[in-house]
Amino acid sequence: MGQTRETGKVTGVFSGPLFGQNLKANWALCLVIAVIMVLMCVVMNFAGSMMSATAGGSEDYSEEQEEFYVYLGALAAYDAMTQANLSYGDFAQGGDRDAYEQAFNLLSQSIGEDLSVQGFQEAIDDLGRSDVPLDDYVRQFEYAYALAQSTGVFSGDELDLETMMDTMLGIAGVDMGLMDTMEEMDPDALLNSMYFTGTGLLPVFLLVVLLANSLVVDKVDRGSMAYLLSTPTKRRAVAFTQMLFMLVVPLVLCAIACVARIASTNALYPETNAAGILALYVGMYLLVEAVAGLCYFGSCVFNRSGASLAFGGGLAVWFFLASLLGIFGSPNLVDIGMGVEALGVFNNLTLVGLYDTDALATVGTAAVDYAFAWKLCALAGVAAVAYVAGAVRFCKRDLPL
Amino acid sequence: MSGLTPARPLGLASAAPACALDPTSAASVCASDDAVIRTKGLTKDYGCDRGIFDVDLEVRKGEVFGYVGTNGSGKTTTIRALMGFIKPTAGTAELCGSDCWTHAAHNMLAVSYIPGEVAFPDLRTGVEFLKSQARHLGVTDFSYMNRVIEALQLDPTANLKRMSKGMKQKTAIAAALMARRDVLILDEPTTGLDPLMRDAFLDLVRAEKEAGHTVFMSSHIFEEMEEVCDRVAMIRDGRVIGVVDLDELRRSQTRRYALEFATAWQAEEFDRRFPGGRFSGARSSEAQPLGGRPSDAQPTGQVTRQVAVQASQTAELFQALDGCGLTALSERRATLEDIFLQAYDQGAE
Repeated sequence: MGQTRETGKVTGVFSGPLFGQNLKANWALCLVIAVIMVLMCVVMNFAGSMMSATAGGSEDYSEEQEEFYVYLGALAAYDAMTQANLSYGDFAQGGDRDAYEQAFNLLSQSIGEDLSVQGFQEAIDDLGRSDVPLDDYVRQFEYAYALAQSTGVFSGDELDLETMMDTMLGIAGVDMGLMDTMEEMDPDALLNSMYFTGTGLLPVFLLVVLLANSLVVDKVDRGSMAYLLSTPTKRRAVAFTQMLFMLVVPLVLCAIACVARIASTNALYPETNAAGILALYVGMYLLVEAVAGLCYFGSCVFNRSGASLAFGGGLAVWFFLASLLGIFGSPNLVDIGMGVEALGVFNNLTLVGLYDTDALATVGTAAVDYAFAWKLCALAGVAAVAYVAGAVRFCKRDLPL
Repeated sequence: MSGLTPARPLGLASAAPACALDPTSAASVCASDDAVIRTKGLTKDYGCDRGIFDVDLEVRKGEVFGYVGTNGSGKTTTIRALMGFIKPTAGTAELCGSDCWTHAAHNMLAVSYIPGEVAFPDLRTGVEFLKSQARHLGVTDFSYMNRVIEALQLDPTANLKRMSKGMKQKTAIAAALMARRDVLILDEPTTGLDPLMRDAFLDLVRAEKEAGHTVFMSSHIFEEMEEVCDRVAMIRDGRVIGVVDLDELRRSQTRRYALEFATAWQAEEFDRRFPGGRFSGARSSEAQPLGGRPSDAQPTGQVTRQVAVQASQTAELFQALDGCGLTALSERRATLEDIFLQAYDQGAE
């Protein structure tokens, strides 16, 4: 072209001023979402640690229970032998210590165990720390003791508490498999899937919907894009800069949440699988970007802010709700009787279904399940296609400025 | 129409050297004798007869070119096409020889733009906005911006969202003019300005012209167009209905007067003495037509007359008036509005 252009040069790829302007306009929103994400992840982690602490607690007292039952058994044998009336109840109410001393001495010699009043008191104190009242343990002992005294009237088999319980529950119509899964149920896994495929996604979905809307279509709809495009800034640079902002902000937020998760796990749990947590957050980032890409596409294609918001927000809400319903169809909940298997189809109707938290959580353990890999690739593919299509459309369309 | 732009020869112009020799323009863009803005058959069809159709415009370097039309006549659509915001359905728009759609960002190196609708980005104060625009435009020297701010008495520290319409417009003007580009594209730039500020703004436009810059401004206010523009294109329903050379209008040798006599008898006496002066017949075809209806339909018995005379005939006219009982005399200047209204009526037929 036969002319000179002396002042300045065209911004063709990345516009620093625009990026800075985005930061200025959106930092408050990003900060709020970051705080919510950190709070949510720490609180969920804390709740998880509390649950596993109580679940583990009931098992921890089996040794103490055994020790206590040794004393109860000894007392029962002694009572039977000597017609005495020694019992835990009597002992606890301050019954004659000498009688117990005498009984324990005798029993120690005959069964070869080291029994003493002091030992009995220690066993009582130890088991007393459990949440179950000692009287319940005593009653359970009485049933077990009584059953051990006799055999089945027809079969002649030995009777015990466990088979009695199973029989009673079976007659009452309770599924025995359920009892097994309840014992095997991992409250941590349940909480994790609730957090990573449900509540944990809500704030960051909200953020990308609002960001995508304000970065492109809102500027076109309100007209402030005119100030940008009347400067030597290519549309390509606008599209790319806004895309980059949409890529960087969720990355930073996921990184912050990831660090908070690892730190709080470190503080609350005895051991931390940092690699697994990192993998979960990398997956979350890819999922969020897939949704962000779709929102960005809507923002680039529509003229009106409302239309774009309906498109991006509608998709995000659908993905979120379908994922929530899908949780109730997940094996985790179906197995414990709280889910409905048919709801599992919702996992196939949402992008969140491609975020395989169970498989991702195995990263860093001995048995890594690589099922997550192709799903994450699919999410990245959705994001890439949506971003590129949106940017191309933005560069080629009429803008009502 | 006498003011229509003559067809200019094209071709060689784009190969001519850039006007580094022109002392008035430090950073010149276009070859000196080339058209800065040229549209050929520019059409943007939105359907339902909305849009612009076959717009041919040619804005020469260093002129102030006005673009008038009623609301919704296609002024802003034309400007959008010039800015590269929309892709023409047919025809071309060029800025200094490079296409307005395909080279939009490149063209913006030479353009300052004031949008027709003020909608600032999400920033807090005017200062923040001006700084942000400066970074986008690559402006580091704020001296001219400060002069504009001073001339418009703008307080840029105010909150953008709380600014009045006029304040916003001033901020937009300062943001556009700070870069001192060669071409100014202004979409109704005086909207919301009070009369004093409008004068201040028109002074700024004149200063741009003196600096050798080219100005393309749209408006529906004829007076301000007459004040600053060299030529004005008129658009109606998306079609350009004429281009008026305002210098020709200003230099016009035809004078028009409205006369009032004491009695109808004296008025008829004047008709006898000055038969050629009647605003009708052969003479009116030379004269710039007035917006109103031709006055030869006046019934006799009226005491008013309108005459159009060449400047050289002025003395003759006043001699004829002597002793005719003249009670009032006023000069009627031919205005852009008159021309526009007439062209508008013709277009409607």
